[in-house]
Amino acid sequence: MAHRLTSRSWQFAKRDFIEGVGAWHVWLPFGLKDIRQRYRRSRLGQFWISISTGIFIAGIGVLYAVLFKIPPHDYLPYLAVNYIVWLLMAGMANDSTAAFVEASAYLRQDALPKTIYIMRVLVRNVTIFAHNLVVLPFIFLVFGFRASIAMLLVVPGLVLLLIAGFLTVLVSSLLSTRFRDFPQIVQSTLQVAFFATPVMWAPQQMGPIGWYFVHLNPFAIFLQLIAEPIRGKAPDLSLYVGAGIIICILLIFTLPFFARYRARVVYWL
Amino acid sequence: MPSIQLRSATVDFPIYNARTRSLRHGLLRRVGGRIQPQGDLVTVNALRDVTLSLHAGDRLAILGGNGAGKSTLLRVFAGSYEPSSGTADINGSVSSLLDITLGMDFELTGEENILLRGAFVGMSRQEVKQRIPEIAEFSELGEYLHLPVRTYSSGMMLRLAFAISTARAPDILLLDEMIGVGDRAFITKTSKRLEKLMDTASILALASHDTATLSRYCNRAVLLQEGSIVMEGSLATVFKAYEATSPSDNLRQPS
Repeated sequence: MAHRLTSRSWQFAKRDFIEGVGAWHVWLPFGLKDIRQRYRRSRLGQFWISISTGIFIAGIGVLYAVLFKIPPHDYLPYLAVNYIVWLLMAGMANDSTAAFVEASAYLRQDALPKTIYIMRVLVRNVTIFAHNLVVLPFIFLVFGFRASIAMLLVVPGLVLLLIAGFLTVLVSSLLSTRFRDFPQIVQSTLQVAFFATPVMWAPQQMGPIGWYFVHLNPFAIFLQLIAEPIRGKAPDLSLYVGAGIIICILLIFTLPFFARYRARVVYWL
Repeated sequence: MPSIQLRSATVDFPIYNARTRSLRHGLLRRVGGRIQPQGDLVTVNALRDVTLSLHAGDRLAILGGNGAGKSTLLRVFAGSYEPSSGTADINGSVSSLLDITLGMDFELTGEENILLRGAFVGMSRQEVKQRIPEIAEFSELGEYLHLPVRTYSSGMMLRLAFAISTARAPDILLLDEMIGVGDRAFITKTSKRLEKLMDTASILALASHDTATLSRYCNRAVLLQEGSIVMEGSLATVFKAYEATSPSDNLRQPS
């Protein structure tokens, strides 16, 4: 293919990024519309997001509390926080595979920055996350809650996750458009990742190897960075280092990849 | 100043899952760009080595048979297809009325669709809201604007789509055939609005098979064949060449 990585393609990629991320007036209504449309004509509308998450947490929470022999008032809040953060990560990964394909019509006609479609995926999943957060006050109300200054650390955790999420969605959406087998790979990986990540179990249950399960699994690192502060615990510094390393690796890989193949996306549709 | 500059722009589509073409298909094929097999990969040359520059005041007629590359050329003008080799520099706001129902969401109301599409073409929410009464009046949809688009008839939907996509006057206007929307009364209204847009646009590119329409709106022409510009110049000379390549003469030697 005649598309090499030239200074021109770098320049276009940079402009795409700046204009695309800056075009909040396009991607914000675009992403919100997706949610609104999904629940249009249903009586409870988008609150089905919160309801179905609540049902999952209640059901699985009680079941696993019994299985693991952990008191439900300890286990349910633990699972609830983890599961909600997991849904955000898995949602972004899942949606990434369709980011460009579902926007075919737009891509073929308009010369909009490609990063708009990435931001749309983030908006959609952050909106779902916000709806899921509604479940937490109920859980805390029933099972008790301690306010802590460490909760403020949720913010940097979320910011780091969204940066990593943006880069991951970008590279995964490009790969998924070119290689139509890639979405299947992502889906099956996510299924395994759900069980390999300490969402339903705690790293301590693993004993000494628990540390590796947390630090070698990107999902686990970001999960802890957000879930721990919600539980009122400051995450270990090593987790921040881990997140930094992951973001650096993603940057090194994603930026040249995007610069080179950005213009090709529309040819792959 | 709005301008379009193409320098040996080529658009090659890689087709990853095409079967190797059979000889029979090669003999029967009479339309479309050149198909080039390279091992497992088949490439369709939708546009080959097109060099063209358009400036303010240019009204370009694009002629060619089916699959000659007219729509692809328009999409390169729109900036959505960046050439796979060569360059395309487009300056100015572009409005491509290639697919006016683009981005219409059937579950959303007419008004919500206006807001969404408005954001896409770069209008602020404020600006779109100001234009809603005008769009409502033009489309004559009235109360229907508060109902989901799925309740519209196809004609009503096109009315709305047309009203939205022509709400803003662009520097560069791209058209794939003239758009005729709605019933008889509405068609005169749409063509009036379209003509006004064409007048105010600094550059116009119109692809069509109808030489009468083209000569009414355009002042220069290109003829495309298998993705290449085979002729460029005044309307009269290009029309003549176009008529000479009428289907009966179009039989190609099998390659």
